[in-house]
Amino acid sequence: MGEDYGAGISDLKSRRAKNLAMGGEARIKKQHERGKLTVRERLDLLFDKDTFVELGLLAHQQPVRGGESDPDGTPADGVVTGHGLVEGRQVWVIAYDFTVMAGSMGAVGEQFKAARVRELALRYRKPIVWLLDSAGARIQEAAGSTFAGTGYLFADQVVMSGVIPQVAAMLGPCSAGTAYIPGLADFVPMVKGTSSMSLGGARLVKAATGEDVTDHDMGGSQVHCYESGVGDNEVSDDRECIEMVRRFLSYLPSSNTEAAPFVDTGDPPDRSVEGLDKIVPASPRTAYDVRRVIKAVFDQDTWFEIKPTWAKNIVIGLARAAGHAVGVVANQPMQKGGILDSDAADKAARFIRMCDAFNVPLVYLMDVPGFLVGSQVEKQGIIRHGAKMLYATAEATVPKITIIMRKAYGAGYYVMCGKGYEPDVLVAWPLAEISVMGPEGAVNIIFNKQIEASADPETARAQMIAAIREQINPYLAAGWAMIDDVIDPAETRRVIVRGIEQAGDKRIDRPWRKHGNIPV
Amino acid sequence: MTVEVKAELVGSVWKITAKPGDQVAEEDVLLILESMKMEIAVTAPRAGTVKEIRVKETDVVKEGQVLVVLE
Repeated sequence: MGEDYGAGISDLKSRRAKNLAMGGEARIKKQHERGKLTVRERLDLLFDKDTFVELGLLAHQQPVRGGESDPDGTPADGVVTGHGLVEGRQVWVIAYDFTVMAGSMGAVGEQFKAARVRELALRYRKPIVWLLDSAGARIQEAAGSTFAGTGYLFADQVVMSGVIPQVAAMLGPCSAGTAYIPGLADFVPMVKGTSSMSLGGARLVKAATGEDVTDHDMGGSQVHCYESGVGDNEVSDDRECIEMVRRFLSYLPSSNTEAAPFVDTGDPPDRSVEGLDKIVPASPRTAYDVRRVIKAVFDQDTWFEIKPTWAKNIVIGLARAAGHAVGVVANQPMQKGGILDSDAADKAARFIRMCDAFNVPLVYLMDVPGFLVGSQVEKQGIIRHGAKMLYATAEATVPKITIIMRKAYGAGYYVMCGKGYEPDVLVAWPLAEISVMGPEGAVNIIFNKQIEASADPETARAQMIAAIREQINPYLAAGWAMIDDVIDPAETRRVIVRGIEQAGDKRIDRPWRKHGNIPV
Repeated sequence: MTVEVKAELVGSVWKITAKPGDQVAEEDVLLILESMKMEIAVTAPRAGTVKEIRVKETDVVKEGQVLVVLE
């Protein structure tokens, strides 16, 4: 070393090689035995070939507050950071290395390396991806009142929210110190079996409350992708997870100042969609799988469903319409009849806001019997949750296309972007039913006294229902020009594509405010 | 092992399509609820034999109420 470049460069090479070797062969073997890839194998999958640029490779643990440190045993301080290209576009990454001190967040890794990535991703307005496989905060460095100087990570994420896309890929444990990363991210895929997230890990839970539970039982994908809704999509392994991250990013712009990327899919804009009348039964009582409609209408093989296993009575996801990225919000009659409840409203509201933040047009495929009513849902706060979806739809200023396929009832019609919510195109299929409530319910309220006074109440009731049923067809609304058109279902794709192009220069200016007060 | 099939939401029992002793496959329809004027099929979460049907047609059921027991 010292005055000889040859020796100096050879020293550099050996330092690099040592840190590129991560936590060593034994720990790498253990990582593989758990069914997980190493952090560097994951980065190879995430980025286009040979595009990863690493920052902070030579970092390692530092003594904190006079404590001991192990510079040789902590390559890169347990987190690999930098940037690379995903389908040719720059993306930043913070990837925890479980083979180094269980991927725990140390002072160097967190306060310098991860912070640097957050700073630069935001400076350049590029997406940020976390590959999470971490035991959480490195307690030996974090315990004590110097904790007072931490927490910037989440505040940074809030500043980034709606500015750059944030993805938290769950590839291992993620508790306490790291669990709010997915909580604040735009997209959270979870690997089945190996990933988990919880505000407190199993050992902390035992100490704090006495509960005996494992990290997996408490916070695996079977909890978060099915019950809590914190996770988005359950995947079978690391490879599928990272492929899904790349796919998610392909629909979004690098930041909120850009348009979503256009991809020529070759699927003709004017393609007539045959068979929708077979998929959607004429009887308004009968269920069907709305995903079949989505797959038929949008560009072939572009449907990317998000949160497919939680709040299944509403379907959300990204797709392409003649190459344009779109966010689809569709009622799902096959699940709970497509009736909206608290979780469905919550799921849709968050997705709508993400699309609006990142300039992705929204397509609403409406077939909604309304919001669920009754004492159980009131206790769950359905008014508060339903209001989130109202809020999100009203607030969104991206192009909004509404197709009323069948039912459009009550506040369900509003939250699915009815007339009052500034749709750029609002059309109905010929058998659509639009009303404040179904004819049966309406008759009971409006004509209750007449029916009771009638000699033959049942016949009177049936006649009144039939009379009201005639009023709910879409031609009354079309006659008032409250909807733009009634269309043949086969024209649905053409109407959506033309609508998005019609609204390409859309600009809506709202009154100045600091921010609204969404009923979270 | 028995499996309890519960109502996903409040509604009334519109039509019962399975009967005790029936062999059912996963996803087979056991009964149909009606809620908000929609027919909502209740299906078998896994293959098995219908051990017991705890409701009758026109019954009003609550979310979480056990409708059918499979074995």
